[in-house]
Amino acid sequence: MIHFLAFSFRRAVEGLWRNRVMSLAATVTMILTLVLLASLVILLSGMQAGLAYIEGKVEIRAELHDGVPQARVEILRSQLEALPEVASVDFVSKEQALADFRAQLTADGREDVSQYVGSNPLPAQLVVKLTDPKEFGSVRTTLEAPAGVVERVVEQQRNVDRLISITSLLRTVGLIIVALVGITVLLIVVNTIRMAVMSRADEIEIMRLVGATDAFVRWPFIFEGLLVGLIGALVTLGLLSLASAPIGQLANAIAGQAPVGFSRQLGSQVAGVVLAAGLGLGGLGAWISVRAYLRR
Amino acid sequence: MPERRVSRPRAVGTDQEARADADNASRPAVGRTGTVRVRLAMTTLLAPRSADTPVQSTLDRGPRRTRRPDAPPRPRISVALHHVSKVYPNGRRALSEVDLVIPEGDFVFLVGPSGAGKSTLIKLLVRDEVPTHGEVFVAGHELSRATGRSIPRLRRQIGIVFQDFRLLPRKTVRENVGFALEVTGTPRGRIGPAVDRVLALVGLTGQADQRPSQLSGGELQRTAIARAMIHDPKLIIADEPTGNLDPLISWEIIQLLLRINEMGTTVLMATHNAEVVTALRKRVVALEDGRIVRDEVGGYHRDY
Ligand SMILES: Nc1ncnc2c1ncn2[C@@H]1O[C@H](COP(=O)(O)OP(=O)(O)O)[C@@H](O)[C@H]1O
Ligand SMILES: [Mg+2]
Repeated sequence: MIHFLAFSFRRAVEGLWRNRVMSLAATVTMILTLVLLASLVILLSGMQAGLAYIEGKVEIRAELHDGVPQARVEILRSQLEALPEVASVDFVSKEQALADFRAQLTADGREDVSQYVGSNPLPAQLVVKLTDPKEFGSVRTTLEAPAGVVERVVEQQRNVDRLISITSLLRTVGLIIVALVGITVLLIVVNTIRMAVMSRADEIEIMRLVGATDAFVRWPFIFEGLLVGLIGALVTLGLLSLASAPIGQLANAIAGQAPVGFSRQLGSQVAGVVLAAGLGLGGLGAWISVRAYLRR
Repeated sequence: MPERRVSRPRAVGTDQEARADADNASRPAVGRTGTVRVRLAMTTLLAPRSADTPVQSTLDRGPRRTRRPDAPPRPRISVALHHVSKVYPNGRRALSEVDLVIPEGDFVFLVGPSGAGKSTLIKLLVRDEVPTHGEVFVAGHELSRATGRSIPRLRRQIGIVFQDFRLLPRKTVRENVGFALEVTGTPRGRIGPAVDRVLALVGLTGQADQRPSQLSGGELQRTAIARAMIHDPKLIIADEPTGNLDPLISWEIIQLLLRINEMGTTVLMATHNAEVVTALRKRVVALEDGRIVRDEVGGYHRDY
């Protein structure tokens, strides 16, 4: 067994070297595929994290008419709280709203424009948090039911919906691209191993005649494909680890305080995906080739 | 019978006991067919064991191989073909109803014009092809029933030699011969001594580290024969081994094959070489158009 593995490995390395141009092409394509795949995984997981963060902040704001009796507001509030899709309801008074507004301006380092306005222009609000940001059910109708209480319902929902659809579009497009590139690398591996098989046609015939088993004939080629995948995966991971710091910074710059970028968990996840995809594509390509060109 | 076995030296010594046991176990499989028995008796009559030819007298010969009349001959069967026909997928009929029995220890020439089916017959024996009809027995195994792992194992019991040598140009003589062991899972440590032994047998010890491009035709063929002998086969099959060699070198190769045969290995050799066939007075099986047209001791009757 050890002898068999050593033999297969030795012949695989020898074969890669013998057809080095083709092997290099296969490895480079493999790297390209795996880099694309890793980028997709990173991008999607970043968007997923960003989405989760934003969704956690999604709320429905209802701006109230000025001068609505507090009792009516409380009734509406308890009606809302009874809805299953509602997580919590907060009341923000006019004064609180103005204070929040001023705090926000100060935080952003902008001039407090409200000081030029005599009276408080901001309405009192009911802030509804949803249990599931995609499910706002009858919140809106409940809010609008009592006459003269709610002036305007402000939804951030639409933006979230757009983000969700962008993410899923990105996932679909990304998967299609990765699949296409994956098929390309598969074909290139198949071709590389085919060349390896062809260049050993005389050896293979002699091997058969002297009584070599199929395992001795085939496995070196499978090893060759696996090696292309392994080398591709290792180079890809090397490139990614070099690039991880800039990527993290970029992600932070784009997403602000949203928790995206490289976590240790994401790192090992990406490493696993890249290794599995590399070995899988390499092994599968070689296997297809061996099956097609080593009949009998 | 037993005394004959024991007295025949084997150059590439293996466990003769085990080999004999394997033979006994495998014999009934062959004996099952009546035809095989009948033809076996025939071939025994046809194939005398000693012939004093000039060539043979130059060889270092083993003990005389005549049988005592009171001990009925029961040679083991090396190769048996029973009603074998081969039609290639393109419809070309290469062999028709071929019956052939080769007892162990025989030296048989297979002659016939180009296209007669000699190579096809040889391909059937190493299960490179399977017969369309009929049965092929080699070393007691019916080949069309041999599957998967048993085919490689069977091929290790047969040494094959071709006209075009089929050596690997990048490998030295030693590596070419060792390759047959390497690819059949022999630990590296045991390859070296085994290779040295067969190279000594074929007289190539001095050329062990040369590549095929540095060798003469005769040396190339001796390398191929060494490779064929590395698994210590019971049967050597040579498909026109002297086809690419000039007459003198051809004789060297034939003498080497005769010596291997003297050591107990059955030899089947397809050839066009009328001079050799006529001179040696061995058993000659003639194929024409896929049929055996003659099976007798003696010369080469036609100019093919
Ligand atoms: N693989 C093949 N496919 C089709 N026909 C073949 C094949 N091999 C040999 N033949 C045909 O079978 C016949 C016997 O060929 P072969 O056994 O090579 O004869 P020989 O070795 O006596 O010259 C020839 O007519 C040859 O053309
Ligand atoms: Mg031929």
